[in-house]
Amino acid sequence: MAEEAEQPTVATVEEPFDLVRLSLDEKIYVKMRNDRELRGRLHAYDQHLNMILGDAEETVTTVEIDDETYEEIYKSTKRTIPMLFVRGDGVILISPPMRANVG
Amino acid sequence: MASELEGYINHTVTVFTCEGRIIVGTMKGFDQTINLILEDSHERVYSTTGVEQVTLGLYIVRGDNVALVGEVDEEVDKKIDFTEIHVEPMGAVVH
Amino acid sequence: MLFYSFFKSLVGKDVVVELKNDLSIHGTLHSVDQFLNIKLTDISVTDPDRYPHMLSVKNCFIRGSVVRYIQLPADECDTQLLQDTARKEASQNKKK
Repeated sequence: MAEEAEQPTVATVEEPFDLVRLSLDEKIYVKMRNDRELRGRLHAYDQHLNMILGDAEETVTTVEIDDETYEEIYKSTKRTIPMLFVRGDGVILISPPMRANVG
Repeated sequence: MASELEGYINHTVTVFTCEGRIIVGTMKGFDQTINLILEDSHERVYSTTGVEQVTLGLYIVRGDNVALVGEVDEEVDKKIDFTEIHVEPMGAVVH
Repeated sequence: MLFYSFFKSLVGKDVVVELKNDLSIHGTLHSVDQFLNIKLTDISVTDPDRYPHMLSVKNCFIRGSVVRYIQLPADECDTQLLQDTARKEASQNKKK
């Protein structure tokens, strides 16, 4: 029992999901389909990349074309949700916390 | 499984499809893939010029295209003045 | 199974389900299945002026695959338990 339950205490990254597991309780960045981005604390995930993020800040970027100059104007709207379940099929990428900037 | 739909059998339901269509009818049956059988159904076509009701009859909606099934309170539904409703159609589901 | 079990523990609590057609529905979580299809009771849409399509609908079944987000009641979520369960499931999946 005890032997099989033992995991190496050294954090080894062998597969992509290890990186997600090591991001638990850390602030992560998630890029979503349809020009959505999320930043929040990772509380749970599964193999579909369904996730629960705490204090999730969502940024939605929309593009408008200026009628006269035909310039692309990018607008981003932000909102914060205290606890958010994110369905995995919309996830494009997850980035672990930026160690240089955080903490 | 989708047995949560059991309670809607023989009830009037409104079905939102993934393309944004809205179909109202009596739910006579369903299966685990959420294929639905609707009897005496009609489509409610919402637009900024008003709501048009189009008779469909007996319809099978394939589960893949079902976004939402709502139980209609017929008493409330009867009281809705559809001539007052001018809205854009429901958007399609973008995966 | 993590999220299926988690949502079962939230039955009876209020949530906001945001669909991939931008419709947001507020309601009480009535039930959930293994596909994360969900049933809500006592529903209201967050923007009834834009979406009057559900005026006569009091409860609904939502196909799991059309869900984008679900806003959860933060004080009902045991984040420590969630993290522990996620770690446990991660190690179980590795053994396979």
